[in-house]
Amino acid sequence: MSFKKNVTHNPKLATVNKNDKITNMKKSKYDGSTYLNPYLGGVILGTVLLLSFYISGRGVGASGAVKNTVAATVNAIAPQHVEKSAYYSQFAGGDNRPMNNWLIYEVLGVLAGAFISGIVFNRLKLKVEHSPKITSRRRLWFALGGGLVFGFGAQLARGCTSGAALSGMAVLSFGGYITMVAIFGTAFVVAWILRKNWI
Amino acid sequence: MERKYTILAILLIVLALGLVGLPKKKDLKETDPKALLSAITEKSRYLSVDLVTHRIIENDPTLLLIDLRPANEFKAFALPGAINIQPDSLLSATTLELLKQPGKDKILYSNSDLMAEKAWLLGTRYSITRLYILKGGLNEWYNTIIKSGEVSSTASSADLDLINFRNAARQYFTGAGQTSETQVEAKTPVKVKVIRKAPEAKSGGGC
Amino acid sequence: MIGPIISSGIVSQAWDNIFAVLIGMGFGFALESSGFSSSRKIIGTFFGYDFVVVKVFFTAAIVASMGLLYLSYFGLVDYSLLYIQPTFLTSAIVGGIIMGIGFSMGGFCPGTSLAAFAVGRSDGMVFSGGMFLGVFLFSESFPLWENMYYSGSQGAKMINSVFGISPELFTFFLVLVAVGMFFGAAWVQKKVKKVEY
Repeated sequence: MSFKKNVTHNPKLATVNKNDKITNMKKSKYDGSTYLNPYLGGVILGTVLLLSFYISGRGVGASGAVKNTVAATVNAIAPQHVEKSAYYSQFAGGDNRPMNNWLIYEVLGVLAGAFISGIVFNRLKLKVEHSPKITSRRRLWFALGGGLVFGFGAQLARGCTSGAALSGMAVLSFGGYITMVAIFGTAFVVAWILRKNWI
Repeated sequence: MERKYTILAILLIVLALGLVGLPKKKDLKETDPKALLSAITEKSRYLSVDLVTHRIIENDPTLLLIDLRPANEFKAFALPGAINIQPDSLLSATTLELLKQPGKDKILYSNSDLMAEKAWLLGTRYSITRLYILKGGLNEWYNTIIKSGEVSSTASSADLDLINFRNAARQYFTGAGQTSETQVEAKTPVKVKVIRKAPEAKSGGGC
Repeated sequence: MIGPIISSGIVSQAWDNIFAVLIGMGFGFALESSGFSSSRKIIGTFFGYDFVVVKVFFTAAIVASMGLLYLSYFGLVDYSLLYIQPTFLTSAIVGGIIMGIGFSMGGFCPGTSLAAFAVGRSDGMVFSGGMFLGVFLFSESFPLWENMYYSGSQGAKMINSVFGISPELFTFFLVLVAVGMFFGAAWVQKKVKKVEY
């Protein structure tokens, strides 16, 4: 499986090679960069997951780090509030050190790793990705709203697609599968409702 | 390209099939004989009749009574909440899984404690922990709890407490117009849910 | 060396966080290089023009689950020491639905939004920021959701026990399903109207 280098001289033209089959990386309108073959990416990701379990006995995650950061921030501003809260007190306040947590370090690694990948594949670019049919502003508002809603849901479900769904599936966790199905099922429906934003 | 993916897909399926087809390894570890000997001589595996009765009455959820007698005797009478396991099926996979589940004290009993001793030895050899023997077995239980003893005039207050306890226990088991037999009938079959151990990861898990 | 290495004490606990960074780097690299820093690629699954999510996600899931089962079989990993997150049925479903809404609104999930953040996508940054707000909102309003949060607890249940089959057999069926989806994705991708993205 070789990386197909997409060379587009005219960014406005989307050319599709007739001989490309399943793994063809469609040359995008404004993004002529190389992406790994998704199956290769999946194998790499699966191996990383495997290593994570082999070394630390747990899978990866992301929303947990957000949760801890929020808790630590609130604790810095209003410690009594944290102690009284039934939610925060589980992992912040008192003796807890939420920022000295496996997930926080892992997330730092995620940022670094993604950054390195961006350098290697020449994708470092400050921009807003959005459908040509909507404005940047609209995209950003939806991103904000989406993040808010997602953050809320991730707390309720005790995980996100990486932590609950992906890592959960790796150990055949029932809760993990349930969450995954719920996320993707709903996302499918909502994507169509909001299709004007995307296609 | 298509061909490549078909090959990979087949490879994946073969790997998965391999997983299913692998012979089940017996993951029973045997205890070191020296450790076994010290466990035997230690004698902490015996639980007195009074203690067990107390826990039965208290509905202690960590209690798991295992009756090793033949099925017809079990049906006639058994301690409340006990499950019946035939000695020859002690090493079956289901029994072992039952005995290995966390959070429970497993108390073996038979009529005397002979069979219980053997079962305990077997279980301990297979690294099963929290395994105990009802001292004296059902015979002792019956003599102590059900049959009333005579109160000697020289009994100490501790003895009197014990006798009171045993009287109360007798009431519990045989009183209220219900014999222990019916109590047990209603309880069998007891479905014991095997809880898969939920380990506490050092990093606390979470998302 | 029997895994998990940290738990069995072969490597000291202090290394755990260092490994966390390394594992995270691998995770981030895999995400970004597969294209998850682009919200348009992520959303592509739902419109049939780019199934990268399905391919990467399910490949990773079957590699990891098969890998763990094989390692366990060969005694290289103590499966009982692995963290299996507990099932809280109600909150798992409701939370998942809410996350699904957020997913299609924002086009990201926490992991991918971090990857997008790292390569300079402002929409990823904004999504990450939004997440902080969402977490804050939940934490402050927690008493309202407390009951739902703790209901439906089933412990660390594994999905194969729901069907009454062994983990290995379940994984086998999962592989079949995944391979089916991969071929299905390829087929759909050919049929769908080409979308410029």
